[in-house]
Amino acid sequence: MAFQAPTESYNGKIREIKLGSAAQVAVGGENTLPFYTFEGSVPNGPKIAMEVFDTEPLGWADELKSVLGDVWGDPVAWAKKCESEFGADIICLQLAGTDPNGANRSVGDAVATVKAVLDAVSIPVIVYGSGNVDKDSEVLKAVAEATQGKNVVLGPAVEDNYKSIAAAAMGFGAKVAGETPIDVNMAKQLNILMSNLGIAVDNLLIDPSTGALGYGLEYCFSVNERIKLAALTQNDNMLQSPTISNLGKEVWKAKEAKISQEEAPQWGDQRKRGIIWETLTAVSVMLAGADLLIMRHPESVKLIKQTIAEFGI
Amino acid sequence: MPKIRFYPDNREVEVEKGENLLRAAMLAGVHVNASCGGSGTCGKCRVVVEEGDVEKQPTAKLSDDAIAKGYTLACTTKVLGDAEVRIPVESQMGDGRAALEREHRSVTHGSVLTSKDLSELFGEFELEPATRRLYVEMTAPNLEDNLSDLERLKRELTRVHGIVDFAVDLDCLKEMAVKLREADWKVTATLVEGRDGECPRLIRLDSGDHSATHYGLAVDIGTTSVYAEIIDLNTRESLGRVSDYNSQVSCGEDIISRIVYSLKKDGLTRLQGLVTDTINGLIKRLLEKTGVSKDDIVNMVAAGNTTMVHLFYGINPRYIREEPYIPTVNFAPTVEASNLGIDIAKGARVYCIPGRASYVGGDITSGLLASGVYKTDKVTLYIDVGTNGEMALGNSEWLLSCACSAGPAFEGGSVKYGMRAVKGAIETVRINPVTYEPMILTIGQTKAKGVCGSGLIDALAELFLTGIINEKGKFNIETGHPRIRENNGQGEYVLVWAEDSAVKEDIVITEADIDNLIRTKGAIYAGITTLLDSMGMPVEAIEQVLIAGGFGRYLELDQAITIGLLPEFPEEIVKYVGNGSLMGAHLVLLSQTARESAKDIAKKMTYLELSTNPSFMDNYVSALFLPHTNRDAFPGVMERVKERSGV
Repeated sequence: MAFQAPTESYNGKIREIKLGSAAQVAVGGENTLPFYTFEGSVPNGPKIAMEVFDTEPLGWADELKSVLGDVWGDPVAWAKKCESEFGADIICLQLAGTDPNGANRSVGDAVATVKAVLDAVSIPVIVYGSGNVDKDSEVLKAVAEATQGKNVVLGPAVEDNYKSIAAAAMGFGAKVAGETPIDVNMAKQLNILMSNLGIAVDNLLIDPSTGALGYGLEYCFSVNERIKLAALTQNDNMLQSPTISNLGKEVWKAKEAKISQEEAPQWGDQRKRGIIWETLTAVSVMLAGADLLIMRHPESVKLIKQTIAEFGI
Repeated sequence: MPKIRFYPDNREVEVEKGENLLRAAMLAGVHVNASCGGSGTCGKCRVVVEEGDVEKQPTAKLSDDAIAKGYTLACTTKVLGDAEVRIPVESQMGDGRAALEREHRSVTHGSVLTSKDLSELFGEFELEPATRRLYVEMTAPNLEDNLSDLERLKRELTRVHGIVDFAVDLDCLKEMAVKLREADWKVTATLVEGRDGECPRLIRLDSGDHSATHYGLAVDIGTTSVYAEIIDLNTRESLGRVSDYNSQVSCGEDIISRIVYSLKKDGLTRLQGLVTDTINGLIKRLLEKTGVSKDDIVNMVAAGNTTMVHLFYGINPRYIREEPYIPTVNFAPTVEASNLGIDIAKGARVYCIPGRASYVGGDITSGLLASGVYKTDKVTLYIDVGTNGEMALGNSEWLLSCACSAGPAFEGGSVKYGMRAVKGAIETVRINPVTYEPMILTIGQTKAKGVCGSGLIDALAELFLTGIINEKGKFNIETGHPRIRENNGQGEYVLVWAEDSAVKEDIVITEADIDNLIRTKGAIYAGITTLLDSMGMPVEAIEQVLIAGGFGRYLELDQAITIGLLPEFPEEIVKYVGNGSLMGAHLVLLSQTARESAKDIAKKMTYLELSTNPSFMDNYVSALFLPHTNRDAFPGVMERVKERSGV
């Protein structure tokens, strides 16, 4: 008799969520562990969102400048390039410029940028605030109102501002990404709190936070993995939201991705190094179960898409 | 027990004879406004006794007309027999609010656990204290009968009391000649039993017959609170109990900060002095209260966690804190009270109940002893909800223990208006889900000074069930109710307005208080989960739950479960034992057999170190939620929450 590999079946399933309006992209929907296509179905596989910043980034690696420098002063052009040239599935618009400790762009300016980007691309858009709790809650509320019907994702909603963000999302038909500090229980707690406000769980995504390769990635891996295990094996409804891994900003902060070859000759070619760092981080979180990866370098995106394809998805 | 029926809710409850109508209403799950803690001064808890046997107190808060109509204040009216009571609309609703149709919780607050006494838990035991007081009359020496003083005493003790041989304290010997002669050869000899086959030891001589005044002191040295009790060693009776905060609190709230303090210059001496002062203060109060003379207190048994015992003895506790967490001693030696500065009879001894490890001390051994855990077949969970959060799981065959560093919140520490369970402490709280008006009772039914453990558990449960706070313990300020307000950027709920309080300020529960309470309850729940996980046992395997701690006189199981302090245990298996550590010390004072058993328990117990346990932290974070992140484990609470949101 031929050998039959043992397989598991799971009680639960990750919710499939459709993002965007014109060209919709579905994330999640799997009823098995990442890429376990021999056990269950993985209808969508991980999707790649490419970062676009509202203001010109400062202090980025030279390598990023060489591929993105021509567009990074113009979020609309940047977003268009991600869609048409780099093959992004989704745009993640980072409103870093709204940070009161930085450029402190006004709510109105931020909304104008979001609308311009939405008009320029057909793929779905995630709008991430600067991470300033109070400002994000103001900005994202206005963004929700101005983007009604576009089915954007708003984030990150955190414990201190989830109420206003989730309420705005509920009112104007947006999705919400809840961000918690690398902990299964906290991720679940935030989802419970948000759904208690009345927002449907179908509109929630989990951003459990991640670190880059060499910066606590193995811990983040476990947390991502445990979220999936609880969702699939224990049928834990509150953890069945698709997960986001906001890894680009973490990778390109790491000195291994930034430092020049002159400064660290033993580390080899800087260009390859940065791309490999981002790719390896992305492969890891993808294997841990992330459904949506937020990435920065077009070459890393290309490599990841190729990897996903080689998995047969 | 008398049955009280409340209208218009048509709910019935059984209460002890002598209980007041306000508590009866609370137990029945019926809301009556009450803001003075039951002291009879706010006049808000008006009810009409329509029928039945009650004892009313005269009050100026009711007009003659009202009294004639049968009105009385619920808090000052005692139940004597069955009664029917009507609650008028004004007592149900807040001031100036429209009479809303109220929704009641259909789950009655059933199980109020009251603390148990020793005989109920431990059963029968023989009276065999470590000390004896023996009266003898000797003939004065002369030229023919020229035995030495000591031999003369020995001869008489042998002849009358069968004491063949004994050793003697040098201090006692030094004074012996004068003592015997001044007493005209009529003295009471106090002897303490020898250890390990040694002969007894003479520790003091008193002029005249003191055999009837033979007392011991039981002390529970907690990180936050210290309790002391005088026991009559002839009759087993407790003559009085007092408590106070451990003065060491000024040097840090938990044991780690105490250890850090002890490493400073003169820190250890100061800490030793502070706890001794606290105990001496308690002794003084006990002596005043009971009229006992300090010279008649000839033995002291203390129970405390390992660090507390080290500090009490003045032993350097430094290595308790450093990996691999080794104490100097688990089985501390018996010493003379005067060596520690304890102000009882000269020559009296101090014995500390042995502990198991650095973080599972003699207090838990003591509790396991007193509650009989070590001799039952039932798989028992014993929890001491103190600062150190020690607990044990097991029965007569095995015992597994751990400590989860819960913090002092349930003892009133690190809570703005927290206090120990003494007169004036709010011990019961209900909040109306529609009007958000509270119903409170204080210990001694006087104006409120603060909130004790049981009141804090209640307050947390009620704030959660009424939706005033969310699952993370954050306030929903939007309700716009005057009692729910923001103060310095922090949410708070006003339990008692300044005009009704004894401290002349608003008594509030703040968001920071709630944070501390949630952390404390989370640590205890996580400890329980981790103990069960490491035994591979489900919650259902537990056949008996014993809860010790200084919450107050009551612990309401429903409320403790609502906040996720305890799993959803069936009420019939749960008992509240009160201060288990003090009870064990009481028992050891009375029984040498019990003292041996305590040793066995300390030796037998397996210790689980949580600081190196990977699943504890995870269990802890998941317990930092009301009732718990894993809501499936709390189906009953979720049902109540659902009812709430239906209101």
